[in-house]
Amino acid sequence: MPIVFVPSWSIVTSRVWKAQIAYFARRHRVVAFDARGNGRSDQPASAAAYAEVEMALDLLAVMDATAVDRAILVSLSLGAHRSLVAADRAPERVAGLVFLGPSMPLGQPVPGRDIDFDAELDSDEGWARYNRHAWLRDYAGFLQFFFEQCFTESHSTKQIEDAVGWGLETNAETLILTDEAPGIDKPTSLAIAAGIHCPTLVIQGDEDAISGPSRGFALAEAIPGAELVVVAGGGHIPNARHPVLVNLLIERFAQSITGDMG
Amino acid sequence: MTTSTVRDVEHHALYDDAGRAVRPERSDLAAAPDGVRLGFDVYGAGDPTLVLMPSAPIIHSRQWKAQVPYLSRRYRVVTYDGRGNGRSDRPTDPTSYHDGRYVADLATVMDATDTERAVLVGLCTDGVWRAIRLAAEQPDRVLGIVAFAVGVPRIAPPQPHYVESGKTFEEVLPTHEGWAKNNRHYWRSDYADFVQFFFSEITSEPHSTKAIEDAVGWALDGSVDAMLADSEASFPFDLGAVEAICRSVRCPMLLVHGSEDTCQSPARAHRLAELTGAPLVIVEGADHMIPGRHPVLANLLIRDFVESLGGRGR
Repeated sequence: MPIVFVPSWSIVTSRVWKAQIAYFARRHRVVAFDARGNGRSDQPASAAAYAEVEMALDLLAVMDATAVDRAILVSLSLGAHRSLVAADRAPERVAGLVFLGPSMPLGQPVPGRDIDFDAELDSDEGWARYNRHAWLRDYAGFLQFFFEQCFTESHSTKQIEDAVGWGLETNAETLILTDEAPGIDKPTSLAIAAGIHCPTLVIQGDEDAISGPSRGFALAEAIPGAELVVVAGGGHIPNARHPVLVNLLIERFAQSITGDMG
Repeated sequence: MTTSTVRDVEHHALYDDAGRAVRPERSDLAAAPDGVRLGFDVYGAGDPTLVLMPSAPIIHSRQWKAQVPYLSRRYRVVTYDGRGNGRSDRPTDPTSYHDGRYVADLATVMDATDTERAVLVGLCTDGVWRAIRLAAEQPDRVLGIVAFAVGVPRIAPPQPHYVESGKTFEEVLPTHEGWAKNNRHYWRSDYADFVQFFFSEITSEPHSTKAIEDAVGWALDGSVDAMLADSEASFPFDLGAVEAICRSVRCPMLLVHGSEDTCQSPARAHRLAELTGAPLVIVEGADHMIPGRHPVLANLLIRDFVESLGGRGR
């Protein structure tokens, strides 16, 4: 069964799946690609180009280009939007959905993140860095802060360094466009989730300091029959920080769909 | 919706029962000639047998945690806790830590595991020098030696921080900054801080927090009394005797040393290579704890070395 690793926010590239690709490619056809806005993909100069619907159409376009009729979609964080929209538009192409730390407008946001993105703030402390002006002032500083929040586990210096490097493959201007782009609102998310009928696995760290664990819990609740696995002590990017655990969970899920070793 | 909670590695059913990638076939205690009991483990059933030697008494056999699962799929692997740490006894008199006792411990564990001959893999003085001694004294028992962080005493000067802190090891010092922590009284007052400092210094590559935390944990499994007794044991050979022992080794050897080794100067590795003719791999940018910090590289070097022996003597 092919597995498509769905791009996350354009702050990273498809290398965010580096700890998955080698393992799964031994058993499955694996497709990974860079979201528009980073890596080898184009960086269009309008916010509309980064709309979640465009991102979902990219996903289907890459499946077409790689002749993947039907696959398990594995997404991380913001990638949940793309997976859900693609599964809604083309359910026949989706054999299963795996969400890691899904960043959907469900559940409760992380406290302290309600920073005005557009305001001129007189601080670069904490989440005040999540701000258009702060990004333009000190993009690398924002990346360092952001990925330190992504990896709250101890022994994450390598994962943080990797992710900051991927972030530096794009720039503040592009990332601002992705933030301005239209996403999927809560009613739409709930409506799409309720209509999902394929097997679904949500893997959610209970110490996720980016989306907050309740977003993952809420998505698992909204999708009929979904399985929720809570990673105790886990942060926002469990596939990078807990690759063996996450790979084994995804492989078990894939086997439950195909009924064999893939 | 079904919900379950997992914690990475620890007691997860997807892994082995205690978070280890492989469990020993056999775990037991063996008594050394002086009665000290040594905890050992045997993994796998391949050929030849590899003995992964302890860096005792500061840490114990878990120092090889990144080697055992890989190597035991191909070979029979024996590990043991050196005297003074782990499951082994912890005598507190310096005579128990005499150089020859460590060599006898290696032979004891080989006997107890029915290991007639083996490839010896060691790190630093505790592993490397005692492997060389066994190869010199009982050549029939040693198929080959892989020596990480070549800690052979005398053959090149020790690192300057050891020389300096060694001068004041017994004194009550006004400071405990930096290598001044390498001091009898400081070990007694805050051993945990000493080992944290020590393993941070000798594992200086980026992204080493886990390797340091592991080593600190193994050190805290041990005993300050054993460490002090070991530090008081005199080393019985002068430079000429050490060099003669090294020259007498006839089995194949592979030397692996980090270019940035803070514990054992690379000069010792170069000198041992001259004395033995053994090939030396310098790992650029690596510090002292190569098997723990660069496990894939270490494992492949060990594998290639063992394969290069062919069926010789097995």
